[in-house]
Amino acid sequence: MTSRQLMHRSEVAVSVELETPGMTLNIGPQHPSTHGVLRLVAKISGERIHEIEPVIGYMHRGYEKLSEVRTYAQITALVNRIDWVAGFANEVPFILGVEKLVGVEAPERAQWIRLILTELARISSHLVFMCSFPLELGASTPLMHMLRDREHILELIEDVTGGRFHPNFNRVGGVKPAYGGGSKTKKQSMDLPAGFFKRTLKAMDLMDQTCEDIDTLVTGNELVRARTIGIGVIPAEKAIEYGMSGPNLRASGVAYDLRKVDNYLPYDQIDFDVVTRTGGDSFDRYLVRVGEIRESVKIIRQAVDIIPAGPLQAKVPRVLKVPEGQVYSRAENPKGEFGYYIVSEGGKMPYRLKIRSTSFSNLSILPWILVGQLIPDLVAIMGSLDFVLGDVDR
Amino acid sequence: MSDQPDAPAEPDTTPLADYAADITERLGAERYTVEFDTARVFVAKDKWVDTINEARGELPFFSWLSAIDWSRETEVGEGVADPDKLEERFEVMCRLSSVTDDKAIIFFATLPKDDATIGSLTATIGGAEWHEREAHEMFGIMFEGNENLVPLYLPDDFIGNPLLKSYPLIAREVKPWPGEVDVEGLPVGDDEGSDDEEGEA
Repeated sequence: MTSRQLMHRSEVAVSVELETPGMTLNIGPQHPSTHGVLRLVAKISGERIHEIEPVIGYMHRGYEKLSEVRTYAQITALVNRIDWVAGFANEVPFILGVEKLVGVEAPERAQWIRLILTELARISSHLVFMCSFPLELGASTPLMHMLRDREHILELIEDVTGGRFHPNFNRVGGVKPAYGGGSKTKKQSMDLPAGFFKRTLKAMDLMDQTCEDIDTLVTGNELVRARTIGIGVIPAEKAIEYGMSGPNLRASGVAYDLRKVDNYLPYDQIDFDVVTRTGGDSFDRYLVRVGEIRESVKIIRQAVDIIPAGPLQAKVPRVLKVPEGQVYSRAENPKGEFGYYIVSEGGKMPYRLKIRSTSFSNLSILPWILVGQLIPDLVAIMGSLDFVLGDVDR
Repeated sequence: MSDQPDAPAEPDTTPLADYAADITERLGAERYTVEFDTARVFVAKDKWVDTINEARGELPFFSWLSAIDWSRETEVGEGVADPDKLEERFEVMCRLSSVTDDKAIIFFATLPKDDATIGSLTATIGGAEWHEREAHEMFGIMFEGNENLVPLYLPDDFIGNPLLKSYPLIAREVKPWPGEVDVEGLPVGDDEGSDDEEGEA
């Protein structure tokens, strides 16, 4: 810094007027603020971004190709890994699509179990957002709190499915019987683990407290507000044009929630609100997610009340042959519309499986939204979009 | 599947089927099918861009765009498929939906393999760029008007279009498991019978 001190005042004035030559800044693929292996090639002058090119594909695992040589049951295990912070929610639309093709419907209890676990996955996914978003803005305390509280949710999921992240719990025609299995125990009606509902309700009480914590730690935080309010505004038309869905779309004032419009699970029997905001900025995207945790808690409380007794599995042949047909099946995942276009030519494996992953579409707006923004805002905007690279690259 | 005669249109009177019939007529599309709550509208290749732009007036949400390779050349584990069923064509599909209700249409256009070129939607739908780039690298389909058809997922020096049916999945060639093999090994006859009896227990 000695050179600056030695500079004469007139020189300083001159250097301020000098134009900063444009430069190309490479961010990632290994960078703490990119959530994973996302690379951004930004053309900047000073702090201002003029053009940005996201480079993705570092996590591309070719799931669409792999699915063509796997049976439907094996694909369920595969799709868990697309958006790994909400593994259960990925399975649901796929299984629902296959069920439509086969022509079976899961028993009511299985559908309610799917609903409860989907909402648990939603809370868990949003809690991960509540860790990473403030962390990227420089606040590390929420991370500790949210990860601690998410553990209670993961424990519930693990209790039922045996897996914390990759439940692989849905079966065509129902859900996997929780314990046992095999030819000897097949006749027993295997069900949710004892005390599950009680523990769930207890965890929901805890989530109320978590939401309070979030509000105290983040929502009211002056720095967070200063860095996110009015930053990265996405107008509704742009969001729709880029296929943004989920909380990102609802933050722009579009009350589009597949749980309301597409009756794929018994959400119609539940009283809940679609959380929307109108600002479309980073802070609103954050607020929508806080609101959705509260709504999910509401949904789970009601579902625990309503869930009927009954079998977990409909009658399905052991070796599943799916008839010819094409179906698009979608669901409201924590991050938005998640869908599968399944082309079956008959047989045990799909002829083609198109995976409509949420983060891919949500992220495709980056080249548009980041132009003209400042480098420090880039982190706030990207964090607020809540993407998972596995979900982008598939 | 591909060349099915027209729709189960007449008997099917769900709101979605009505809507599909309506929009097919209004847009001047070729035909439509509605099955499994999925409405598909088939349009001519040269009317692809115009039809979709027009449809976006009522179905604004761009959900996704992709393609299907209909040549069943080398299905792994099944050898060369029946030459009669071999179709040298792609289908490009684009899904638009409403943002207020559950109306949605998947638009289809057929492309012959020797002229796999179709208009790009990027002029009006910004979100289509990544989807078209993906379809380009995975199938080799050209989207006229998309200036930026560089690989999205694959490395720059990658050769081939992985989602073509003619593109072998090397891992599966050298090691067939896990796949069809272990499933076929399951006892089918007996077990299925007993399943039927016990299924509802």
